[in-house]
Amino acid sequence: MQMWLYIVRRVILLFPVILGVMTITFACISALPVVDRMDSAFGPPPTRYPPGYQPTYNCSYFHIDKPGQCPNPMYDKYAHLLGLDMPVWAQWGTYMVRTLTFQWGYVDNYSAAAGQFEFMKGQTVITALGELLPYTLELAAVALLIVLAVSIPLGNLSAVNRNRPIDQISRVVSFSGYALPAFLLGGFVSTGVVILLMGHFGHTMTTPWCPRGEAPYLEVNYSWPTANICYTGTLSLQGFPLWVGNGVTSTPTGFPTVDAFVHHDYWLGLDTLIRMVLPALVIAYGSIAGLLRFVRNSMLEVMNLDYVRTARAKGVSEKVVVSRHAGRNSLNVTITILGLTFAGFIGGFPIIETVFNLWGVGRLLALAIQFPLDYGLIFGSTILFTFIVVFANLIVDICYAYLDPRVRLG
Amino acid sequence: MNATDATVTAPPPRRRPHPQLDQLKRRWFFFRRNTLAVIGLGVLLGLAAIAAYGASTKIDWYTMTPYCLSDYGPGTSAQIPGEWVGEGTGYWQYNFTYHYWMAGGPFNDSDITGCNPICTYEITPPPNASDWCGGVWYQTPITGSGVHTITYPALLAPTLNMRTLSPGAMPLGDLATSIGTSDPVYNVETALLRGSDWSLGFALGIVGMGASIGLFLGAVAGFFGGMVDDVLMRLVDIFLSIPVILFVIVVISALSTADSAGLFGLGPTNTPLFLLIISFGIVWWPLYSRIVRGQVLVTREQKFVEAARASGAGQGRILLRHIIPNSMQPIFIQFSLDVGSVPLLIGGLQYLGFGKLIFPPQSNGAFPEWGAISAIGVSGLPTALITCGNGVCLLPWWQLLFPGMALFAFAISVNLLADGLRDALDPRLLR
Repeated sequence: MQMWLYIVRRVILLFPVILGVMTITFACISALPVVDRMDSAFGPPPTRYPPGYQPTYNCSYFHIDKPGQCPNPMYDKYAHLLGLDMPVWAQWGTYMVRTLTFQWGYVDNYSAAAGQFEFMKGQTVITALGELLPYTLELAAVALLIVLAVSIPLGNLSAVNRNRPIDQISRVVSFSGYALPAFLLGGFVSTGVVILLMGHFGHTMTTPWCPRGEAPYLEVNYSWPTANICYTGTLSLQGFPLWVGNGVTSTPTGFPTVDAFVHHDYWLGLDTLIRMVLPALVIAYGSIAGLLRFVRNSMLEVMNLDYVRTARAKGVSEKVVVSRHAGRNSLNVTITILGLTFAGFIGGFPIIETVFNLWGVGRLLALAIQFPLDYGLIFGSTILFTFIVVFANLIVDICYAYLDPRVRLG
Repeated sequence: MNATDATVTAPPPRRRPHPQLDQLKRRWFFFRRNTLAVIGLGVLLGLAAIAAYGASTKIDWYTMTPYCLSDYGPGTSAQIPGEWVGEGTGYWQYNFTYHYWMAGGPFNDSDITGCNPICTYEITPPPNASDWCGGVWYQTPITGSGVHTITYPALLAPTLNMRTLSPGAMPLGDLATSIGTSDPVYNVETALLRGSDWSLGFALGIVGMGASIGLFLGAVAGFFGGMVDDVLMRLVDIFLSIPVILFVIVVISALSTADSAGLFGLGPTNTPLFLLIISFGIVWWPLYSRIVRGQVLVTREQKFVEAARASGAGQGRILLRHIIPNSMQPIFIQFSLDVGSVPLLIGGLQYLGFGKLIFPPQSNGAFPEWGAISAIGVSGLPTALITCGNGVCLLPWWQLLFPGMALFAFAISVNLLADGLRDALDPRLLR
């Protein structure tokens, strides 16, 4: 099969997955009480009704207490506005069409997420997600780099020294990352940073990035973005883009680090990078164990193959056998699990971003699922997460097919 | 050469061969050589013993109050959680809320026997005290409450510095910030002890359920192939793409609002613990079925399956008796990895604030599951940081360290044990 044909087939297979995820999300949300959804979107009943609106007191769609006793006489109207008076199949169809045409609705006005962060009220879901996605992607990229840089060499090393102390130690240490919750480690690390900085720098310090002798926000509360990094007593996030301030007035790319360097604000860029290191290390520490185990196993299998023995018999040095003959071939197999690894730690982002007080899509999702739920954000971020995971898998598959022709030929 | 030569030496009496027992002994021999696996087995047995002991103590699941253990009684001391104020005034003040039933009424500074770093007071029973149960006088009406302030010169305060906090200063303390309110109040060690059976049970139940669903569906997909395979594997892709935390939350809240008659007439499904296991099970199967399917694709081409088919076995029998038992090995690895991560996920949910949703309401959002206990500790960290000034504060490290140790011991021992079993049971690795 040609490469392009394989890619086309693989892309066509994406559609049922995406449609399935959307349907399942829709089904789950539809199972929740519609009253909550209307309360989250429109809030408590108004004290005064719009002119010309005659309140009807039978909540015909929602058998709330008894017919004729409706807690909020506006529910009929609200249901119509949200399309909840349509039959379920029609709601499903509307939802699918709107999602696929990128009409993802607005952030609810009365949800917990909007209550916590005023600036999100009235924004479209796409705006909210789009502003925050670059943060998550940057962090994910750094974490993935750390995972790869540690687990592949270490996996090879422990496969070569199978059951020797170095193998045991590397397995136990990497597994400890898997066994410790990310929030526990993250809480320890972020608190430790705050304490250390507090002790060493004190509360008033003049730094290149806080020239007026204020405390960097990092000292008070490990956080991201770098907007308001100079803590002056009250912290408020005013609006999108969150990190603009301190002389940076435009965001050409949306990625905070890149933008800072584009503006030649190297201190800000450095600050952003430094803030990323610890969360990325915590994320990576949790994911290294799985990948390391996989690398070790595939390396062990490859080392027993005939061509490796041939290479050894030929007199090729052990170093070259491990790095070229065995290492490259085991790497091919390792690529297949990268998609799952990536999906795994993207799923952990809500917790990591919450515990480190970072901004990102995960944090938004963690806020959206607080009660009262933000339905627009839940729909939107689920679809976004799915897109990320599905496309990561797609890229991994294409890479694998490129590296190993048997996949696309067989 | 005659007949007498044959009876020169009688061969030693051979013991009757016992194939299964011999095999078991051989496996045990190979297992025992793996030191790490034996350690894992030992730790796991220890945890099981702790869980059994915790289940046998009659500590209430939800409130964590022991039924009047005699070793906490009048005459012993208790710790008062409170907060330190008075930054930069030259004096350190320790404010805490007390309740009259707690110490028999308003009391003096002389009742406090020491503050390192949390104050300790002598317990004097209230006049109408009936029963002392783990820090609370039961069946004793609360007669009032107030805020008591103790003032110290600043020189005494350095003992509270987090960086010089000595390890013995605060071995295992209360989780809560106030006594006698509706906030969860219990000792970390009590919660860990009582929560051990729940934690182990949740982990095994959830992963066991996910693994068995995944095993069955994966085997069906791999064995029948074609349309069934396509549909099931797309379903797996779909489930693997949904963020786990979101999925669990939405499934739990959707199911908990379902009619109390229950789904499919199964009885009430809106009991939180049942929902927790069900929803995690729904989320957890896809990875297993993908793994099993890959293995079944290999197994179904083996000679013994062909032989079974040739001897007239039906599809169902081949699947259940030949394919599934021979495709289960890769599941053990994933099982051992996942069992350790269940408490972490539950703790993550607790950390994000869903304790009241996923656990029974009686537990007041602080169910003694190991992951949840550590999450409660982490949630308290920002408060601990806010209450400190000038680098002097109280870091409740014991709330993080001990649950973390429990989680770590459990996860790593299961993993080491599974590794050892895999190696000992794999005939190819015996050489």
